[in-house]
Amino acid sequence: MSQANEPKKKKMSLSRRHNLTGWAFLTPATLMIAVMSFWPMIQAFILSFQVGKANDLRFGGIDNYIRMFQDKVFMKSVGNTFFYLILQVPIMLILALCLAQMLNNKNLRFKGLFRTAIFLPCATSLVSYAIVFRSLFGVDGFINSVLIKLGILNTGYNFLGHATSAKIIIILALVWRWTGYNMVFYLSGLQNIEYSVYEAAKIDGANPLQTFFKITVPLLKPTILLTAIMSTNGTLQLFDESLNLTKGGPANATITMSHYIYNVSFKYVPNFGYAAAMSFLIFILVAVLAFIQMKVGDKRD
Amino acid sequence: MKKKFISALLCVAMTATMLTGCGGGNNDKNSNNNSSQVENNNTGDDANAGDDANAGDDANAGDDANAGDDSSSGGGKLTVWCWDPAFNINAIEEAGKIYQASHPGFELEVTETPWDDVQKKLTTAATGNALDTLPDIILMQDNAFQKNVISYPEAFTDLTGSSIDFSNFGAAKTAYSVVEGKNYGVPFDNGAVIACYRTDILEEAGMKLEDFTDITWDEYLEKGKEVLAKTGKPLLSCQSGESDVIMMMLQSCGSSLFDEEGKPAITGNESLKKVMETYAALVKEGVLVEVNDWDQYIGTLNNETVAGTINGCWIMASIQTATDQSGKWGITNMPKLVDVADATNYSNNGGSSWAVTSNCKDVDLATDFLASTFAGSVELYENILPSGALATYLPAGDSDAYGKAQDFYGGDAVFSKITEYAGKIPSNNTGVYYYEARDAIATAIQNVVGGSNVDDELATAQGTVESLMQQ
Amino acid sequence: MTKTKRMNALMYVVLIIVSIISVFPLYWMVIASTNKSVDVTRGTLLPGAAFIDNLKSLFAQQPVQRAMFNSFKYAIILTLLALVICSLAGYGFEIYHDKGKDAVMSVLLLAMMVPFVATMVPLFRLFSSAGMLNTTPAVILPTISTPFLIMMFRQSARSFPHDIIEAARIDGLNELQIFFRMFIPTMRSTYAAAMTITFMNAWNNYLWPKVIILDDNSVTMPMLVANLTEGYVTDYGVLMLAVLLCSLPTIIIFFLLQKSFAEGITGAVK
Repeated sequence: MSQANEPKKKKMSLSRRHNLTGWAFLTPATLMIAVMSFWPMIQAFILSFQVGKANDLRFGGIDNYIRMFQDKVFMKSVGNTFFYLILQVPIMLILALCLAQMLNNKNLRFKGLFRTAIFLPCATSLVSYAIVFRSLFGVDGFINSVLIKLGILNTGYNFLGHATSAKIIIILALVWRWTGYNMVFYLSGLQNIEYSVYEAAKIDGANPLQTFFKITVPLLKPTILLTAIMSTNGTLQLFDESLNLTKGGPANATITMSHYIYNVSFKYVPNFGYAAAMSFLIFILVAVLAFIQMKVGDKRD
Repeated sequence: MKKKFISALLCVAMTATMLTGCGGGNNDKNSNNNSSQVENNNTGDDANAGDDANAGDDANAGDDANAGDDSSSGGGKLTVWCWDPAFNINAIEEAGKIYQASHPGFELEVTETPWDDVQKKLTTAATGNALDTLPDIILMQDNAFQKNVISYPEAFTDLTGSSIDFSNFGAAKTAYSVVEGKNYGVPFDNGAVIACYRTDILEEAGMKLEDFTDITWDEYLEKGKEVLAKTGKPLLSCQSGESDVIMMMLQSCGSSLFDEEGKPAITGNESLKKVMETYAALVKEGVLVEVNDWDQYIGTLNNETVAGTINGCWIMASIQTATDQSGKWGITNMPKLVDVADATNYSNNGGSSWAVTSNCKDVDLATDFLASTFAGSVELYENILPSGALATYLPAGDSDAYGKAQDFYGGDAVFSKITEYAGKIPSNNTGVYYYEARDAIATAIQNVVGGSNVDDELATAQGTVESLMQQ
Repeated sequence: MTKTKRMNALMYVVLIIVSIISVFPLYWMVIASTNKSVDVTRGTLLPGAAFIDNLKSLFAQQPVQRAMFNSFKYAIILTLLALVICSLAGYGFEIYHDKGKDAVMSVLLLAMMVPFVATMVPLFRLFSSAGMLNTTPAVILPTISTPFLIMMFRQSARSFPHDIIEAARIDGLNELQIFFRMFIPTMRSTYAAAMTITFMNAWNNYLWPKVIILDDNSVTMPMLVANLTEGYVTDYGVLMLAVLLCSLPTIIIFFLLQKSFAEGITGAVK
C-alpha cells in the first residue's frame, strides 16, 4: 500500500524493499531448517571424529573415515547403492514423465482412476508390499509359475537368493513404488504449460514424440531437476527396501549404505561415531551429485 | 475446480473432527491413563505441549501427569515396555492381576513397543543422556542382553541379592542375563528347541516319531532323503540369510562364536565347521529347503510343503494356527552333531527376560513384583500356558497343567516334555558382539551353500567380526 | 486417422497394464484382510469370510480409533504449517531471487542429505533438554520445513508470470497480499500436489515419532501396524486389515485432490 502512495520513492529503495521482503519470506523456513537439521548435523559431524562404543567415546581424528574404506561390508554397500542409483533413477523418471504425459491428454477417459491407480504403490504400506513382492518372486511364486508355463524355466528360480536377480528385484520394487510419486510432480508441472502450445505443435505437424522432447521436457525442466535431486538423495539414503525386502542378503549382495549404518547404530554394539562418519560420506556424495545436477539444470530461461 | 479443492479440504477436516469424537470415547475405555491426559489429547491443540513440557524434568517421564495419583493410592505403579499382545503383554498383565490380588492399589502401565523400537529407544535414551525417559521394566531379547548391559551399564539395575531366587530357573537361560557375575534380568519365556514332525507324512514313508528321537544329524540326513524320495517333501525349512538353524546346532554342543574372553572364535572352531558342513549337506540333498522370509517359512508349515521343522518351542503357536492339522503333529528332541565333543539333542532359540532399568524409582516394588510373579508364581505360568508361553521357571514344569495331554500333538504331554528339554540345554556365550557374529555367519553360510570353501568363508567371517569390534 | 486411433488404443493398453501392476498389491491386501491368517500364508487370492472376525480382533487388540485420531492430528497440523511456511519461502527464493538467496537455497538443500539415523540422537537430545519429549510439537517440528518442499515451490514459482505481480503492485497490493491473493490461487495445482505428498509423508512417518513418543496415548497408525508384526505369531489377516486402514487416508486424499493438481487452472490466469 505504502509503495503505491509514495510513488516518488527512488527505484533503488523499492527494489531494496523487495529484496528485504524476500528475506523476510524465507526466514521462518530457513530458521527451522537451521535448528532442526543443521544443528543436529553439526553435532553428528563432531561425533564422526570420535571413536569408541556406546557412550565410551574419545577423540579419534579421522580414524572413522579411514576405517570405512577398509570395511569390506560398507564398501560393498556403496557399490550396491550406486548400482541402484545408476539404473533406477533414470528408468523411474522417464517412466513417470511418459505416464504424466499420457495422463495429461485432454481426451483420455477415466483419468482419475488411472492416476489414482498409478499413485497407489507409494501410498501402500511397505509392510504389505514387501510381503507381496517376496511371495511373487518366491521359488514357487507367481513369476516362477508363469515362466515355467511359458517354457522359459524348467524349475523355479530363487530370485531373491541370487545376487544379481535380487538387486534387480530391488530396482523393480523401487520403480514400482516411486514412479507414481514422481508422476504427481510432473502432472502438476504440466499445468503450467498452456494447452495451446500443444495445439500449435499439432497443427505444425509435430508427432507425439517430437512434442514430448521439444515442448514437454524443456518446459518441465525445473520440475525434472527437482525430482532428479530428490530421487538421487532418496536412493543414496535407501533403507526400507533393503531392510524389508531382502534384509541385505543374499550374503550382503543387496545391502545399502543406510541399512549398514542402521545396523551399526542399533543392531550391533552401537558405534555412533563410525555411523556418523559413514553418514557424512553419503552427504558428500549427494551434495556433489546435486551440485552437478543444479549446474546442468538450474538455469533460468 | 475450486469447489473440488475446498471440498477435499473439508473432507479431511470433517474426518478429523469425527475421529476426535471417536478417539475421545475410545480413550476412556481403552486407556489406563488418567483422564487429564486424555482430555489434553482430545483438544488436539497445543495446550498439551505446555503440560507435557514438564515431563522431561519429571523423574518418571513415562508417567507424566499420573505421578501425583500414585502417592495417594499407596499401591505404587510400574511402567513396562514390551511387545506381542498375545504373548508377552498377556503375560505381564496376568502377572499384574496376580500381584494386584495381594497388593490392592498396585498399578501396571504397559506400553506396547516392538522389540526393534525398545532397542532404538534404549539406545537413544542412553546416548542422548535421557535415561529418565525409560520405563521401570523392559522386556529384552536374550541375545541382546549382554550387548546392552555392557554398552550401557548405567541404564540397568543389578538384581543380585534381591528377593528374586535365580536358582529356580534353568542355568542356560539365566546365563543370558548374567553380566560379570551379576544378575540383570528375570528369565521369562522358554526358547527350548523342539523338533516337530508331521507324523502322517512320516508314516507315508514308513517311519514313526520314535525314529527321529535321540538321533544324529547323519541319521536325520539319511532319513530325510528317504522321506523326500517317498513323499516329495523336505524334512526342514528355514529362512535364508538368517542363521537360526546354525546357531541352534552350535549351541546344542555347548559351543559359541566367542571364547571365554569375548574374542571371536570362528576360525579354528571345529564344532562350527562341522555345523556349517552339516547345514550345507542338508541343503544340497534337498532335505532342508531355504525360503526368503518368515511368512514363507510359516507358509511351508501351514501348507504341508515340509514334513517338519526345528525351532524354539514358541513355534508351536504358529503351527497350531492350521487347526485342520490337529493330531497330525508330533514333538521330539532335535538331532545331535556327529564326532563333536559334548554334543546333545538340546538347544535354545529365542526367548527373552525382564530387566529393571536404572530409572526405576521404586526398585523394591519392581523386584518384589517380579519375585512374586515371574520368579515365584506357578499360578501365573498356568494362566499364561494357553497363550503358548512356556516357563523357564522350573517349579512350573511340575504343575498339572503342564502334564496334560495335547490333542494337537497326538495326545502327547508336550509341555512337560519341553520343560524337561529346557533343563538339559548347554549354556551358550552370546558375547557382546552376538549380532555382528550372527550376520557374518549368515553371510558365510550363504556363500558355502553357493559352493565356497568352508574354511575360507569362516576366515572372512572372523575378519568381518574383528573389524566391527575395533573401536 | 487410423494412426491416431492406433496410438490411442496403445495408450489405453499401456495405462491398463501399468494400473493392474500398480493395484495388484492393494488387491492382495484387501483379499488378505478378508481371510484367516493360515489362508493368507497358504497364498489364497480369493476373498474369504473372516473380514468381520479380523475387524473384531484388530479392534480388540489395538486402539485403532486413537491411532487414527493421532495420525490425523499430526498429519493435518504438519501439512498445513508446512504448506504455508515452505511455499512462502519458495516464493521468496524465486520471486526476489538474487545471488545471496540462491546461495542460501543451495545451503538449505544440504539439510536433507545426511541420513536421519545420524542426526536422530542429537535431535533427540535437543528435545529432551528442552523438556519437550512426548509432545505434539516434538513430533512435527523436525519435518515442517523441508528443503524438498521449499524447492518444489521455488521451481513452480518460476512459471508464475511476473507481469501479474507488477499489475498487482500497481493495484496497490502489498507483497504479502500478492502472495496470498494471487500466488496461492494461481498455483493451486502445485499446492494440491504438495499437500498430497506432505500428508503422505507425515502420515507414514514412523522412526522419529516412535523415538520421541513415550506412551501408548500418542500411538499412530504406522506404529500400530508395527506392533502387529512383532509377535511370535503374526496374524496376517488382521495385519493386512490394519495396513489397509493405514493406507486408505492417503489414497482417499489423493483421489480427491488429483483433479486439482492435474487439471488445474487452464486459462484462469493470463
